[in-house]
Amino acid sequence: MARNPGKSKKTKVPAARKRLRVGLGIMLTLLLVVGGKLFMVQGLDVGGMAEAALANRLTPQVLPAERGRILDANGTVLASSVIRYNIVVDQVLNTATAEFKRYNEKTEEVETIPRDQGISELASLLGADPAKVRESLTGDKKYFTVAKDVKPELEDRISKLHIPGVAAEGVSKRVYPNGSVAGGVVGFLQDGTTGQAGIEQTQDQVLRGTEGKRVFEIGADGLRIPVATDELTPAVDGSDVKLTLNTDIQYFAQQAIQSQVNKMNAEWGSIIVIDTKTGNLIALADTNAPDPNDPGKVDAKDRGVRSVTAAYEPGSVEKMITASAVIEEGKSFPLDHFTIPPSYTIDGQTFTDAFEHGTEERTLAGILGWSMNTGTVMAGSRLSKEQRYEWLKKFGVGEQTDIGLPAEATGILAKPDQWDERQQYTVLFGQGVSQSTLQTVRAFQSIANGGVMLQPRLIDSYITPEGEEQKVPAKESRQVVSKETAQQMRDILESAVTEGQIKDAAIDGYRVGAKTGTSQAPREDGLAGFDGYTASMVGMAPMDDPRFIVEVVLQRPRGNIYGITNGPVFRSVMSQVLRTYNVAPSTGTPARLPQFVK
Amino acid sequence: MSTAAAKTLPSVVGNTARALPAPAGKPDVGRKARTPLSIVRSAPGKRRTPFVVLCFVVMAAALLTVLVLNISVSTAQYRLVQLKSEAATLNKENQDLTQKKQNFEAPQNLAAKAAELGMVQSTVKGQIDLNTMTVTGKATPAVKGDNPSAVIAPPAVAGQLDVVPSVTTKDPLENLKRATPAGPAATPAAPAAKPATPAAAPAELHGGSVPAPQQKAPGH
Repeated sequence: MARNPGKSKKTKVPAARKRLRVGLGIMLTLLLVVGGKLFMVQGLDVGGMAEAALANRLTPQVLPAERGRILDANGTVLASSVIRYNIVVDQVLNTATAEFKRYNEKTEEVETIPRDQGISELASLLGADPAKVRESLTGDKKYFTVAKDVKPELEDRISKLHIPGVAAEGVSKRVYPNGSVAGGVVGFLQDGTTGQAGIEQTQDQVLRGTEGKRVFEIGADGLRIPVATDELTPAVDGSDVKLTLNTDIQYFAQQAIQSQVNKMNAEWGSIIVIDTKTGNLIALADTNAPDPNDPGKVDAKDRGVRSVTAAYEPGSVEKMITASAVIEEGKSFPLDHFTIPPSYTIDGQTFTDAFEHGTEERTLAGILGWSMNTGTVMAGSRLSKEQRYEWLKKFGVGEQTDIGLPAEATGILAKPDQWDERQQYTVLFGQGVSQSTLQTVRAFQSIANGGVMLQPRLIDSYITPEGEEQKVPAKESRQVVSKETAQQMRDILESAVTEGQIKDAAIDGYRVGAKTGTSQAPREDGLAGFDGYTASMVGMAPMDDPRFIVEVVLQRPRGNIYGITNGPVFRSVMSQVLRTYNVAPSTGTPARLPQFVK
Repeated sequence: MSTAAAKTLPSVVGNTARALPAPAGKPDVGRKARTPLSIVRSAPGKRRTPFVVLCFVVMAAALLTVLVLNISVSTAQYRLVQLKSEAATLNKENQDLTQKKQNFEAPQNLAAKAAELGMVQSTVKGQIDLNTMTVTGKATPAVKGDNPSAVIAPPAVAGQLDVVPSVTTKDPLENLKRATPAGPAATPAAPAAKPATPAAAPAELHGGSVPAPQQKAPGH
């Protein structure tokens, strides 16, 4: 074989092959690079691309829990949450857009709207000055609130204007359809979320509910990707709180006490209406009650519920406790005979009455019917100091009420060894001891209810979002006095209306028992002494089987300062209550215990 | 010799091939004439075209199905979105109407409306007991103008100022009708919003001493 062709092959062929090999090598390397990259991207996701893309598509959404409603006993809504909108604007975008396009549904054409027209349209919808709207749309802020709490229907119209940069944000707004009726009891929210007063505050956890969450993937077109991730943690709405109040009675009582306070130029007033059989509070009326929609309109001191927060010296209404105690202890009885001098001195302490009188022959009923301090001290001094203390305690003086409102008063009942010479007797007629109106009402409730004291209730039940009603169980009751003592006490109270001084409390067709109270109100400016009076009247009806108790309290009235001035108010509120609850007129003979011993 | 040449060249050339002896027992028929060659119709072979067409049809059908499915899924999604927004709108409307109703029912507003119609509060009532044939209580006629001195302000719910409409309005829901249709164009809506402002004026008179709350002006 010839060498030459071999040699030529040796020089020619390897060059081509080399090129091929080099090319192949390069290709393989590139393939490896590409493959490796592919593996890294797809398999290992080194740059976190897939994750980033998923994160981009994943849209978490907080599902707000709807705050529970507050209802009255009849289901009238006292507080509920509704959707409202805040109209916000991207000022940068709006300022930069001189004109925009909008589809007109009427003409079915796309119109070009200049910015000025958009602004004037928005202004007319908001009912605001176009210049002001222009001002709020112009600027360099990316976010600016144009209007707050816009109603859905208006929001709908505004969004149809398609003004560039203008958007609506849904917010939950608490609405109190009955305004200041039971406003103090219902309370209000701070910054729209947290309860700051009343039931809204104390029942915040129940009303609030639990927020839910939804995570889903969304495409660039803004539509949910149907087959992708969709995790849903549903929100648990708050429960409704149902109160024992009756809105109509509440309104009536509020109106009555407001009129009375205006008439008497008093500092404040309050009315409590309670169902004696259940302890359910039907009305907790206060003057200058706040409108929870705008609580800032009234003074901070008026925003609570005075009937439970204000403790004051109750005055003569406390004589009921003294009389019940002496009867229950067997130290006296309704027709017991007392010879009462114009003034009565015991242990160096002299007591007089609100009216001038000579030496009188009185019954125990007559002492209460005419609200005599002298006679009360005479009867009450038959009890030892400890007994007086024990009886006040038994009737709930110094024992905090717990109806679910903030800052319920405990009142002050000092220990008997801390009583001074005078206080040991003044506690018998309600001075030197302080309690809230509700505590007084609770004491009278036990007399009305055959001697059994029920704890007052304001929260009747919780209604879960599923509609299940969970009754709040009544708290433990206790027998304060025997049934017989309670009956005797009721006769004394009724006689005070039929024979005694409280004739103003009488209601046609119903037997009423009542007691007035007038006490000196201590100064609140830090100085010693008194600067006014607290006038109150508490009564029950119908006496054959008491259903309701109404107490009317007036703080620092001017002019006629006696509790009896509240008679007409008591009467009108009690009549309204009896009428509303269809209480049958009284039967039987009214008690007419003689006030004097003949 | 190449195989190609072998194919082209006849294996027997001329009459050089020896004649085969005729099989025994068979009369020599001699060289009978062969059946003339003729074109035989070929047997129907397996044709592929229908299969391919079928494949294409199946594929097209599958694709179409997927497409239709996709479209229907996304249409359903669009419809879902639309229905959801519709539900939201109805919800809002419902809430709005409920609120209006609640506001009408608020005792202050009810009392104000009653007073406006010339009604006065009843005073003392009497009772007739049919069992005992007795009359208790002395019903006295209510006195005109005997209104309580204090008036509790209407609830300051924003946007609910026109809750006590003027007496001349026959249909209490008249002012609602404007709001109910979801799609009034922007142009008629603009003038519609304007009369709402004067409508609030009589409500302000009701409030008595307390000034009626107002919607916050823009820019605050």
